Amino acid sequence: MQATESVKVPDGKLVRVEVTYDDTIEDIEITGDFFLEPPEALADLEAAIEGHPAAASATDLETDIQAVEADLIGFDAADLATVTVEALQ
Amino acid sequence: MTVRLIDDGVYAEPMHHALDQVLLDRLDAGEIEPTVRFWYRSGPAIPLGRFQAYEDEVATDYVEETGIDVVRRITGGGAMFAEPGDIITYSMYLREEDVPADVEESYEALDDWVLEGLREVGLEAFHEPLNDISHPEGKIGGSAQLRSGDAVLHHTTMSYSVDIEAMLKALRIGKEKVSDKAVKSAEKRVARITDHVDASRAEVIESLKGAVDSTYGAQSATFEQETLDRAAALAESKFQNDTWNKRL
Repeated sequence: MQATESVKVPDGKLVRVEVTYDDTIEDIEITGDFFLEPPEALADLEAAIEGHPAAASATDLETDIQAVEADLIGFDAADLATVTVEALQ
Repeated sequence: MTVRLIDDGVYAEPMHHALDQVLLDRLDAGEIEPTVRFWYRSGPAIPLGRFQAYEDEVATDYVEETGIDVVRRITGGGAMFAEPGDIITYSMYLREEDVPADVEESYEALDDWVLEGLREVGLEAFHEPLNDISHPEGKIGGSAQLRSGDAVLHHTTMSYSVDIEAMLKALRIGKEKVSDKAVKSAEKRVARITDHVDASRAEVIESLKGAVDSTYGAQSATFEQETLDRAAALAESKFQNDTWNKRL
């Protein structure tokens, strides 16, 4: 199954996720007008979310997103976790 | 810090993005000195933010019919619509040690000279976090940065006289069809330099160049042949290709 959701972070940027999932999150594509340093870390953010159960809590996702070594600018780990969980609901 | 000031060369969109990459890499490698350059475009273009989805931002049919060049930037941020003569774009290539480490502070600090240059021609401009240059009536422009090794790219696009109607046809703002309502709200959000001051685009750029000089000390320069050769190759291998431009 596929689902998309987006959020305009207050005082921040737009973050959009497109999630492919079954019982687990198989694939996620994160897009938007945010900044990320280094930019190559986008794949690491996606990998931090992929493999979680589709019923994962935002807190679980946030912990793994936070472990990625990157500067998220215009959004944070909680924003990304929340929009992902919202897509899955 | 003094900077080299390059105000030269009309190029197609892919070449401009390749020049950004090459000048950033060459500064990081210690091959060139810190540089500020103004862009001159040869045709209409949409520079797309690095992380934006092509299909979400670009009205693909309109863009193909009208021959607008869509090129994905190496920096994050949003899509812009740029026609030659309507937009002022510049890039700064700076050493990391000359830029505040804090991202938010660095956007503000690097806007100082721009605001000085805009105020000099009578425009009431101010910095708006994170990365906007604003006027009381709306957003004039936005900046984006990329840090690479010991070098920082900071580039900015400002609306001199953007054609808002054409912009709304070319960009899929909010993924909605262009309606009068959408035009009105975008008109409110976009402030154009030409709506508020009489200065020509060339006069605004001259004022900005003066502000670069008074802030950093500027030496007029041109592109080295090696920069141009490397950028031309990179434009062809990367910035003209769907592999990069349509990767998201």
